[in-house]
Amino acid sequence: MSHSKPDTVSAVLARGRLGIPSVVFFVIAAAAPLTVVAGGATTGYAVTGVTGIPVSYLVVAAVLALFAVGYVAMSRRIVNAGAFYTYVTRGLGRPAGVGAAMIALVAYNAMQIGLYGGAGAVTAQFLNRYGWHLTWWICALAVWAIVAGLGVARIDLNGRVLAVVLVAECVVALTFDAIMINHPADGTISFDTLAPSHVFAAGIGAALVTAITGFVGFEGTVVFSEETKDPRRTIARATYIAVAVTGLLYGLSAWAMSVATGPDHIVEAARADGTDLIFNLVSPYLSQSVITVARVLFITSLFAALLSFHHTVARYLFALGRERVLPAVFGQTSRRTGAPKVGSLVQSGLAFAVLVGYALAGADPIVHLFFWIAVSGGLGVLILMTITSAAVIGFFARITHTEGPWRSRIAPGIATLALGGILTVTLREFATLLGVEPDSPLRWAFPAAYAAAALLGIVWALVLRSTNPDVYAAIGLGADSDTGPLRAPDLIRQPS
Amino acid sequence: MRAAASAAAPTRLADEFFYLAHDDQTGRSRLFESATAHGLAAALLLELYGEGRITFEGRHIRVIDTLPPRDWLRHLVLDRLVAEPRHTATRTWLAFLGTTAYEQVATRMWQRGFLRQQQVGRLWRQRIIYIPTDVNTAAWSWARLSYQLRRYQRLNAFDAALAGLALHTALDPILLDGAPQATRAFLREQVNQTPLPLRDLLADLGAVVGGAVLSHRTT
Repeated sequence: MSHSKPDTVSAVLARGRLGIPSVVFFVIAAAAPLTVVAGGATTGYAVTGVTGIPVSYLVVAAVLALFAVGYVAMSRRIVNAGAFYTYVTRGLGRPAGVGAAMIALVAYNAMQIGLYGGAGAVTAQFLNRYGWHLTWWICALAVWAIVAGLGVARIDLNGRVLAVVLVAECVVALTFDAIMINHPADGTISFDTLAPSHVFAAGIGAALVTAITGFVGFEGTVVFSEETKDPRRTIARATYIAVAVTGLLYGLSAWAMSVATGPDHIVEAARADGTDLIFNLVSPYLSQSVITVARVLFITSLFAALLSFHHTVARYLFALGRERVLPAVFGQTSRRTGAPKVGSLVQSGLAFAVLVGYALAGADPIVHLFFWIAVSGGLGVLILMTITSAAVIGFFARITHTEGPWRSRIAPGIATLALGGILTVTLREFATLLGVEPDSPLRWAFPAAYAAAALLGIVWALVLRSTNPDVYAAIGLGADSDTGPLRAPDLIRQPS
Repeated sequence: MRAAASAAAPTRLADEFFYLAHDDQTGRSRLFESATAHGLAAALLLELYGEGRITFEGRHIRVIDTLPPRDWLRHLVLDRLVAEPRHTATRTWLAFLGTTAYEQVATRMWQRGFLRQQQVGRLWRQRIIYIPTDVNTAAWSWARLSYQLRRYQRLNAFDAALAGLALHTALDPILLDGAPQATRAFLREQVNQTPLPLRDLLADLGAVVGGAVLSHRTT
């Protein structure tokens, strides 16, 4: 066996593999920068009344970077690494894994459906400037129809389109930031909203979970681990780059807005102008056509995020259907397109029902749908990341490996504590987050939904253990669950 | 039925899977691209397995006889396997062979007169598709499997392997359209009774096709 011969198999398989930029573009598109800057940050100021939003973005970026250390190291050693519940299954056991899977289903559905509120309201507002008289829910349903169609056709946005849109979004955000910083409210640039003291102020939990919501999507880098040129480096670097780029952009933009209005007036201004705030702040200094382009990009970024989260939910349902944890029908694909069609249709059906419910109830699309539901989704992802981080420690404690203590214990340990801390203050301040009275039952309703989902998952896993051991054994294997009955499953891989 | 089966007993699993995965009249694909590609790759490996050249052990392929097969395509695949001993993972080979399997199998069938080429699409979207020359030959694999399964007849080794490929590429709804649940169970049972090495390959095929669904992106 001569190793000097060219390795044609590897050479052929390396064709079309992803480099760092492609992976970064894919995941930042799901995080949708302009949606977060123009929609998330402004609504965050308005609803929570907290001025520490900018510093929250930076703090959360740092915590997520720490989280990514162990997360990426573990992703190379497990199959079905695209889903949080696999990490929990391998690190903390199968019952906890199914509990996490249920939390994930609620959380990503909430993220996705919440975004329809933003997409509907912003699109209606945009079109109504040109003499249309559309309600938010007509626009939301139109967007819904497109997403549902693309979902079953298994079409997502092309890598090149994403790259162009994403770069344009960043250019717009940075241009706006520069203008806002150059035109401070009282003539002096204030760094108030970036002061670390905010981290210990009242209401910071609400600000931190708002920030985390803005980052959701970055965890998707690991989905591509088998398709990258150099799995060991590409995924890790792409994840850090995604977190750093989005963190700095969000922090800078949220701060720039507070400079332009003055830190004391940012909350009032956000309440008065809503998602229009950033556009109103820069419009005196830019031509209207630039503002129009920016508004269109805001809508496309919402759309990219909607489609991305739709596919995420459909894939979760598919993987769970293949494992038979959910009914096997979820594991079916469309023959012609290979779309996880049942998962896709169920997600679209759920979104449709919620949209109709909101339209009938006459609820506010931005506050009650976009912010409440999407941020509740962010809360779910925060719970998932906290458990996953603990699972990373559990996983590396169980296997023999060559990772140093930093990746296997220290970084995941600090991340677990930090995420757990954020989770604790978030739950304590959930009323602030929703902008309701402290004794409102709503403040418990959203967290309780996750507790119920987790409990349901754990109980279901225990039922499976006693009634259907084959299915129980295949939990967390995703598409690999077929190999379960035949041979010992490939639980731990040698990293490439 | 039985007389016809013995008259034209098929021997090339990849050709039969190609027929199964494409419309017998128009040649349009019945499956998504990566499932067809991996299914054809698995079929080619199974042809070598059927000739006693290779076997499947767990997640790996082992070459047991390097004697060149008479068929040029089998010869080509075996040569690759022999030339690249550092790669033994079945999945690696499914992925590798999947990149070329469609063209190769179509070419082999075209050379034997089973398919004809046709140019479709206009201007910048022109491409070659392969259309079966004889609808009856093309429909035979589908008709044979469907008929036997619906009548709960035991499948021979060749047809059981073909049914296994269909099952693990999610092509079974085509075979069993409208059939009761018991027929599906019978299909699974027939596939589960195949030899262990074959089931090993099918497990990897199922995982690769499922993985393609999970990590899909439009390019």
